[in-house]
Amino acid sequence: MNPAPVIALAVNASGLVKRYGDVLAVDGLDLDIPAGQFFGLLGPNGSGKTSTIHMLATLIRPSSGSATVFGNDVVRDAVATRASIGLVFQESALDRTLSIAENLRFAGLLYNLPAKVIEERSTELLELFGLADKRNRPVGSLSGGMRRALDIVRGVIHHPKILFLDEPTIGLDLPNRRKIWRFIENLRAQTGMTVLLTTHYLEEADSCDRVAFIKNGKLVKSGTPAEMIASLGRHIVEIESPDVETLAQRLAALLGPCLRDGNVAHFRYAENDVGRLASLQSEPGIQISALRWRQPNLNDVFLWVAEGKV
Amino acid sequence: MAHWRPVYAVLEREVVRMVRQRTRLVSAMVRPLIWLFVIGAGFGAVLQQTGGVSYQQFLVPGVLGMTMLFGAMLAALTMVYDKESGVMRMLIMAPFPHYWIVVAKMLAAALAALLQALLLLILLGVLGYLDWHMRFGLLAMALLATSAACAGIGMLVAAFTRTLDNFAAIMNFVIFPVFFLSGSLYPVSHLPAALKAVALVNPYTYGVDLLKHAVLGVLPSGMGADFATSTDIAVLAGFTAAALLISSWRFSRESAYEPMIRILTGKRDG
Repeated sequence: MNPAPVIALAVNASGLVKRYGDVLAVDGLDLDIPAGQFFGLLGPNGSGKTSTIHMLATLIRPSSGSATVFGNDVVRDAVATRASIGLVFQESALDRTLSIAENLRFAGLLYNLPAKVIEERSTELLELFGLADKRNRPVGSLSGGMRRALDIVRGVIHHPKILFLDEPTIGLDLPNRRKIWRFIENLRAQTGMTVLLTTHYLEEADSCDRVAFIKNGKLVKSGTPAEMIASLGRHIVEIESPDVETLAQRLAALLGPCLRDGNVAHFRYAENDVGRLASLQSEPGIQISALRWRQPNLNDVFLWVAEGKV
Repeated sequence: MAHWRPVYAVLEREVVRMVRQRTRLVSAMVRPLIWLFVIGAGFGAVLQQTGGVSYQQFLVPGVLGMTMLFGAMLAALTMVYDKESGVMRMLIMAPFPHYWIVVAKMLAAALAALLQALLLLILLGVLGYLDWHMRFGLLAMALLATSAACAGIGMLVAAFTRTLDNFAAIMNFVIFPVFFLSGSLYPVSHLPAALKAVALVNPYTYGVDLLKHAVLGVLPSGMGADFATSTDIAVLAGFTAAALLISSWRFSRESAYEPMIRILTGKRDG
């Protein structure tokens, strides 16, 4: 047997633009996602994440630019593209009046799967997602977490090569979010599926192979989560003061720009030697009521990117 | 290029829902029977019998048509309801061209209409309202063509309607005029000129007319059918094809489609 041709890129977008009237939702986005990767697309509200996913999923047409998903052009080969992707929206794509099994049957038939195959895969996936004993329950009676789990099962019933998860855990409580993530990890371990994730919960993006931050429809920064965090510096220094305004001005020369969060200023600190910071307290003309330092995380990257200070 | 499994899925779902929503099915049976008993008996007493057919008998094709009109409209309008629910999300991301959603939904609406008409036909037979000399071949043809045309009306409305908020408006400005100005309740030839003109451009008129041919047979008195069966069939087929094309075109248009995507995806993000 010949080895299957290797298509290195799951997603290849270049110069992707989406305009809604005067609003530029996506502004010349370039994005490459290697097959098999777990990729996080992060950014503040309105940054163009969802529009990007919708263009890649062929639901909306790019105003200009082009994109392929596993070699299929999202405009010219829209149907073939749709066959290769699984999509979980922010809102559930299920029929509340039908049972779990009936929903999966409906979804599977839409992908032209024979009834027997749907039956087998449903059993397997419902097992994996902890829904096996509820297969005949109407979807309307399921809890939010179970519904989201079913939504993901529905999204992968046709064994897509890439799964788009647009804020898959939005509106769920912590235990349910954790459960959903365990399901997704199991699924990736079993299938090696490429996953493109958008999320607001950045700790969820920690396990991504790569993340990209977008803002105003443009890619601002991308890399592994560790690289992104490291790019901020070694520490985030939080200084609390009754007069943050003055503090920020006075320390700008020494520590650079800061993010303000109430009466706390966040500075990036590249040095290892945080001990030196203690001397700030004796700096004339500034009042410091508390000073802390900690390791940066993806939330910090997010905030700094959102503020446009990276 | 055929996508029959998806079409089958949509049809199956329609039937499952029809069977589950008992009240929808019961009211689809009760509505025409009320017309037949109440209006039929009331007007029958006022109107004299003409040409050996009672007014109630004259109404039989009309109420059969009514069942199909309402059945198809409600089924087609579930497409609008679907725009607000998860089902349309499943349909738009499925791997077939988007006009295929219209094809499938239109077939489902026609099937819903047909099944309800068959059920009513059985009820009418049991209640003794059917003349067993009717032309069964033509009746089958009339049921098929009329349910398809009614589904066409429904799809046109669904394709041009964004949300179900204006359901009352659809009832008032589409379903009732289509029903009243059709020859269901009175022969088209007896209508005043202005209303007659409306009835003549109403495709549903020709469905009811075809049903009259099948159920009432040839009546000399002007109480029977108004047009030739070939005219009826040609109009119904032409209208159904046009409705399918227009609603498919409308549904695939970006300007109609993208706002729907935004409704469907609850898009808060840019």
